[in-house]
Amino acid sequence: MAIREHFEIPKRFNTWSFALMGLGLISIVLLYITHGSSKDPHESARFWASLLQNSVYFLLVVNAAMFFICATTLAWGGWQMSFRRVSEAVSAAVPVMGVIGVVILLAIVFSDNHTIYHWADTEHVQHDEILNHKKGFLNKGFFTAWTLLTVVLWSVLGWKMRNLSRQSDGKQMSVEEGKKYMWKNTVWSALYLVVFALTVMSTIPWLWLMSIDAHWYSTMYSWYTFASTFVAGVALITLFVVYLKNNGYLEYTNEEHLHDLGKFMFAFSIFWTYLWFSQYMLIWYANIPEETKYFEPRVQGPYKGIFFLNIIINFIAPLLILMKRDSKRNYTTITFMAVLIIFGHWLDFFQMVHPAVSTDHVPMMLYDLGIALGFVGLIMFLTAKALTKAPLVPKNHPFFKESVIHHT
Amino acid sequence: MALLRYESQVRAPLVDGTKDYHQVTEDICGPVEASPSRLWWIGFIISVGLLIFGIISVTMEVTYGVGQWNLNKTVGWGWDITNFVWWVGIGHAGTLISAILLLFRQGWRTGVNRAAEAMTIFAVMCAGQFPIWHMGRVWDAFFVLPYPNTRGPLWVNFNSPLLWDVFAISTYFTVSLLFWYSGLLPDLATLRDRAKLKWRKMFYGVASFGWTGSTKHWQRHEALSLVLAGLSTPLVLSVHTIVSFDFATSVVPGWHTTIFPPYFVAGAIFSGFAMVQTLLVVTRKVLKLEEYITIEHIDVMNKVIVLTGSIVGIAYLTELFIAWYGANGYEWYAFKENRVNINSPLGWSYYIMMGCNVLSPQIFWFRKMRRSITVTFFMSILVNIGMWFERFVIIVTSVYRDYLPSAWSTYYRPTIWEVGFFMGTFGLFFTCYFLFSKYFPVIAVAEIKHILKRSGESYKEKMDTLEQEDPEQFGQEHSHDHGA
Repeated sequence: MAIREHFEIPKRFNTWSFALMGLGLISIVLLYITHGSSKDPHESARFWASLLQNSVYFLLVVNAAMFFICATTLAWGGWQMSFRRVSEAVSAAVPVMGVIGVVILLAIVFSDNHTIYHWADTEHVQHDEILNHKKGFLNKGFFTAWTLLTVVLWSVLGWKMRNLSRQSDGKQMSVEEGKKYMWKNTVWSALYLVVFALTVMSTIPWLWLMSIDAHWYSTMYSWYTFASTFVAGVALITLFVVYLKNNGYLEYTNEEHLHDLGKFMFAFSIFWTYLWFSQYMLIWYANIPEETKYFEPRVQGPYKGIFFLNIIINFIAPLLILMKRDSKRNYTTITFMAVLIIFGHWLDFFQMVHPAVSTDHVPMMLYDLGIALGFVGLIMFLTAKALTKAPLVPKNHPFFKESVIHHT
Repeated sequence: MALLRYESQVRAPLVDGTKDYHQVTEDICGPVEASPSRLWWIGFIISVGLLIFGIISVTMEVTYGVGQWNLNKTVGWGWDITNFVWWVGIGHAGTLISAILLLFRQGWRTGVNRAAEAMTIFAVMCAGQFPIWHMGRVWDAFFVLPYPNTRGPLWVNFNSPLLWDVFAISTYFTVSLLFWYSGLLPDLATLRDRAKLKWRKMFYGVASFGWTGSTKHWQRHEALSLVLAGLSTPLVLSVHTIVSFDFATSVVPGWHTTIFPPYFVAGAIFSGFAMVQTLLVVTRKVLKLEEYITIEHIDVMNKVIVLTGSIVGIAYLTELFIAWYGANGYEWYAFKENRVNINSPLGWSYYIMMGCNVLSPQIFWFRKMRRSITVTFFMSILVNIGMWFERFVIIVTSVYRDYLPSAWSTYYRPTIWEVGFFMGTFGLFFTCYFLFSKYFPVIAVAEIKHILKRSGESYKEKMDTLEQEDPEQFGQEHSHDHGA
């Protein structure tokens, strides 16, 4: 029996992805009518905040798939080869998601409503000593240039990595060719990781997210954001792997691989918690007003419920449920946990973005969930399309055979 | 049929040369059974000398008080705590290699884990000296242990990160020791079985706890390893995290920053690997173990060094940037005037830190450099120096200028007894390491055997058929899908 190399998108899958996208569009329209079109800047900012939260979150999540590829490439990890094309397909959504993200971010920065990004209000900045101090970094010009450059670099380097992967599709490599091939992959992965370090691990979360609370600062913020989106990215890859398995694809991916993906979800959920705790505890302990200000609406204000739910979903649930070996090897549990983790970190982003905009109440989350589902539909559509374009297994990759016999 | 043992030939072998199980035992146990060389004696005597210097320095401090050191009213922590953090950091590589790399299934760890774990234990022993002797009234040191007592009762301050340190480090030491020693058991039994002298047989007989190598023993041994690896993994992160809390929970400018925990951990792994390189580059040469600790091992560890060095670099720059961005005058002053300003009294130390930890490791982007023994050795020393200065910069440049210029201290430089104490810990560290390399196998014999037939050079060559087999056919023969 030959490998089922070519993925055909089932009709049901397409129906679902279009239905979800439709739901997303309806939610956007409804939210625009109820809030976005309002004359009250706070009301209309609530609409934009929702778009910002969703687009940035899902962009960082799909981009995390490329991080996963590059990190495992640099570490010469062989085990993930059998589903490598799935990670690639998820990362193929970056350019489109990137364009959406850029449009939304720039629309917010250049609008007249400065509720989200106070620092974009040049008039206001003149009277605000702190924002005036920060204007060397927080200004429209730099924001635009760096955002555009970042998205272009992610897209181009990601494309290069996927392209390199396709090059192995021709014929089987000799050992010498394999070494050269690995070398090329290593160089481009390293380049991607340098860009990643300068964007996701530092500047980008400061610009896109931390600057919403423009007076506030935390050195941990970017690493924290990275951990949040990385674990969600692994969960997303897992979901597609499970879907393909259930449809009879990916013959050489089995419970062993699933088990390891589960370990990643478990370990990085705890890593996220570690960063969460470090940031929160240090600010709580030192109790400096300019720092605790950030947590005030979140811990003591209206967002209290979400704050604790965040910990329950993203820490306690993975800790207890994914600890067991069996649950990491069970298709149902792992699917449930992947969905929970993606939702959990979406919720984390919700509480990162909204409290600065809707300070006195938690906005009704139904719209946001609708928009989130729209993005999910879009990612489903883009990933599935990317999956059809390449064979499902990179069978000539030097490490493919290691992946076949992988035992965890 | 499910194939259990195959590794791509694209990967470099982890054991060079043609070896069988017996040869592995001979090569690694040989040095333990031979008389120590002249070089060993010279090194050992120097180490003991340094240790004696350390003992004298500490005696001076205990007899005449902490005033024997140049700590002053603002620099309450100087060389002592710098050295403490430095040694604790070094003590991270061993457990990282044995626990986290075990979980990540990195085969190359088998060549270096034993020595790295030993080093970890010695480094933590050295680290522990500093806070203990810093107490001054060291005879009251047991006050740090929380137990119902007749002193009032006087309890420890559970809110203090310094107390968390006591728990974190003692736990870490205990688990590391258990991990290292339980790994040693099969090898000690091998030495026992090979021993020809009566005292040797007795010594290794007692030390190996009656290990027979039965299936049952191996089964328990494997289970224990996994449990200890699971326990150690969070410990690798928690120890330096808690050390970073010593600083970050405070409101001292330059200390209070949220990135400290992961950044300290990355720095600790960075310095730990540097020390592993320093020791192994020499050990492999002196004990002729180049076929087990290959250039490949050194290459891989240099990759870890460039990775962690760059992570630390991102953290330094983040800290510096946010100090400006945060618009807190005191924080920014600590960075701008006490550190970045090269003309400030201690500004030079900031540049040593940046140069050694961030810039110099970038040389390891080049494969040639990673595989050069000379460059590796030189770099490992440089990184060790850089990481010492990192702690010095964090501690001293943050506190030597208090809020009021009237409380700015005079230029802090250590006394001979502070230096002597530090040198003494080198003595302790190397005395232990020399004894270890003489009486214990510096490479885990049993673990090398475990990977030999998969990653040994001569065995890999025999895998040509598998390597050339058509991937699809290979997949059908060897895949072991248990069904969805």
